[in-house]
Amino acid sequence: MTPPTDTTATPATVGASPAGASGSPGRRRAVPETAALAGVLVALCIFFSITSEFFFGYDNIVNILTAMAVTGIIAAPATMLLIAGQFDLSVGSAAAFCGAVLASVAGSEGLGLAVPAAIAAGLGIGVLNGLLVTVLGINALITTLGTLAAFRGLTQVLTDGQTLGVNEFSGLGTSRPLFDVPLPVFIFVVIMVGFWLMSRYTVFGRSMYAIGSNPVAARLNGLRSGRVIFIGFVLSGACVAIGGLILASSLGAASPQAASGLELSVVTAVILGGASLAGGRGSVLGTMLGLLIIAVLNNGLVLLNVSSFWQEVARGTLLILAVGFDQLRIRLTSD
Amino acid sequence: MDDGFVLQARGIRKSFGGVEVLRSVDLDARGGSVLALLGENGAGKSTLVKILAGDHKPDAGEILVGDKAFDALDPIQARALGVRMIFQELSDAPDLTVAENISLGRWPTRRGIVAWRVLRDRAVAALDDLGVDIDPDAPVSSLRIGERQAVEIARAMSDQARCLILDEPTAALSGQEVDRLFEAVARLRSNGVALVYITHRLDEVAQVADRVEVLRDGAVVLERDVAETTRADLVTAMIGRTMAAVARPPAPAPADRPTDRPLLAFEDAGSEGAFRNVDIEVRSGEIVALYGKLGSGIAEVAESVYGLRQVDHGECRLDGAPHAPQGPHAAIAADVGFLPADRQSEGAFMVRSVAENMSIPSWPRMSRRGILRRSSEVTAYRRWHDQLGIRSRNEPDQLIATLSGGNQQKVLLARWLERGCRVLVLVEPTRGVDVGARLEIYDEIRRLAREGMAVLVATSDYEEVVQLADRSAVMARGRIVGRLEGDAITTKQLTELAGG
Repeated sequence: MTPPTDTTATPATVGASPAGASGSPGRRRAVPETAALAGVLVALCIFFSITSEFFFGYDNIVNILTAMAVTGIIAAPATMLLIAGQFDLSVGSAAAFCGAVLASVAGSEGLGLAVPAAIAAGLGIGVLNGLLVTVLGINALITTLGTLAAFRGLTQVLTDGQTLGVNEFSGLGTSRPLFDVPLPVFIFVVIMVGFWLMSRYTVFGRSMYAIGSNPVAARLNGLRSGRVIFIGFVLSGACVAIGGLILASSLGAASPQAASGLELSVVTAVILGGASLAGGRGSVLGTMLGLLIIAVLNNGLVLLNVSSFWQEVARGTLLILAVGFDQLRIRLTSD
Repeated sequence: MDDGFVLQARGIRKSFGGVEVLRSVDLDARGGSVLALLGENGAGKSTLVKILAGDHKPDAGEILVGDKAFDALDPIQARALGVRMIFQELSDAPDLTVAENISLGRWPTRRGIVAWRVLRDRAVAALDDLGVDIDPDAPVSSLRIGERQAVEIARAMSDQARCLILDEPTAALSGQEVDRLFEAVARLRSNGVALVYITHRLDEVAQVADRVEVLRDGAVVLERDVAETTRADLVTAMIGRTMAAVARPPAPAPADRPTDRPLLAFEDAGSEGAFRNVDIEVRSGEIVALYGKLGSGIAEVAESVYGLRQVDHGECRLDGAPHAPQGPHAAIAADVGFLPADRQSEGAFMVRSVAENMSIPSWPRMSRRGILRRSSEVTAYRRWHDQLGIRSRNEPDQLIATLSGGNQQKVLLARWLERGCRVLVLVEPTRGVDVGARLEIYDEIRRLAREGMAVLVATSDYEEVVQLADRSAVMARGRIVGRLEGDAITTKQLTELAGG
């Protein structure tokens, strides 16, 4: 078939299809995406347990959880945004910017003012993204691609391109309050559970699903879409600030290159977890499984002495596979 | 073209996930003849024609094209054999010209470069064959919906289609456009094309078809010449019980007659570029229909009640007080409900559950401090599922996309029953809904009115006005051109007032 003919197929592939309306009684329940993901995760764990004697140990499992904490904290609100049909690509440079604000304010005014300043910076970026998307109506992908570049630049300006040390702030990133597990893991779990509850049980969370599923119908049903999406971006900014603080704390420094490429890891985890690019679908639980798969894969490849260059290849491949599965799922459920 | 073209389906069976959708169905489409395919949503007609067009594989049975037999067709095979389907949703490329669209996917080339003259000549010939007067150089996006449909038909015909399947082709057309479509269909028939015409509108069967086949619950329940078939036969076959034809409901008992002052009132209202000098009153307990064709302003008047359009001249009043909501959320807060015309793109949340689709405007009531009570959604679902006779697997979590069109519409109506409102505005409430579900929806709307709701229906379907309205205002070109009341509301009066 020649490409132009394919236009006939497009109406059917966008979200739900008219096929359902044609009266074939619904047969497939929503494919249990999370079950398939859990299967992949178990398979990976078994594979690495066999191939590496270090994999299945308490210390290594704590390592895996620690490695995914910052990505996970930011992936929770990103999941909700993608469900509502929105993106936040600015997370990596926004986290670095928060770290830089922390370091520079700590240097002059002390930590007591620096921490609130960093959190305000994160919230401010969220507000900015939210206003650009909802008030000016600029596409979220473009908006946050712009702020991604702008705040990386501002971070360089603020730090003068240097890595700034942050003293006496190691508690947040490195302390181990319970079971020898670092604090960021607890923060990560609390945020995940919070967003999971929000997505299932609050009007706000459920509104995001409705908006992503059909923005026009959402408005006609009285949902304040702009307001909901704005809050989504602000929540993303808040979580980015927490992530930036943890990074700066565990490194003891704010680097202008901190968290670069974080947006890619976040989007990979969210889409792998079943959130649909078409909006309206996805779950925080799925994102959790997506994060675990990525973290286990990274960890396992390190244990098997695979070079970090190949890990980059694996990450990119995983993202494409995840989007491929998303398309397949849309096609299956709309058949 | 030879008149001997025959497409036959024999003993077609198809199940989806254990549910049998087609139970040994036959179909005969012959060159130079129009077969009308009728059935409620869910009767299996879409599945059947998709099998003919190669979009689905049958579980059993065979497809005969001429003297060749196939167990199943794929889309490329079906196309090569000349079987083409025109869907309700247009699949054209709006930014390209008419000529480019007609050759879409098979542009003539010379050494890799598009041969524009051949392309244009081909388009002119195809449009001539169809007997339509459309500029081949105009971008498709500048055409009216009926013209775009004609371009799609021309595209299929210029690609050597010998059997054309039309899926509810008149659903989105205005009166004049329908006439033009019928002319084109007659022309195709005399050129020897085999036509399969899917429709819900019974009056169209007599107008266009030679034979009629009715499906019910996946089986053929009637198949004969149109000349030997009455409207009552068709209705009985479709819904499996007898029904009076287009009839007025009995007049309400005097005690039930609305006597209150108007709940919703337009006073000399106008909205730039859409309507002007509109006076309408809807009392509690009353169903008022705004009848008019596409573009007459009926939809815009309805939208202004719901805050989708501002009244900039005159006034709209709700229960005596000025009513100028700044958006749907404000209209809902004033207890106004709204059912949009386009179920797919404006009404339903297709990838969400039936229960959620019923509940969204009621979320504020179903929640406390932002926490939603899931049990309230299930309660709402249980309340309306049986009352409205929604046919589904009866699971609150079932996706609404898996329901048939009529049942989806019932879910969207239930949405406003659950929310509760004083004024309900319905735009084309039964477009694309089959006869059986249509009657059930009318019953429910009447029941709502009896309970004191003020109902405003904007519709371009005159049968709907006759069956539903206590009073009717007819609109054309943004103005009210006539008013009818009670038994004076007849299809004849309505079409005459609307300007033929």
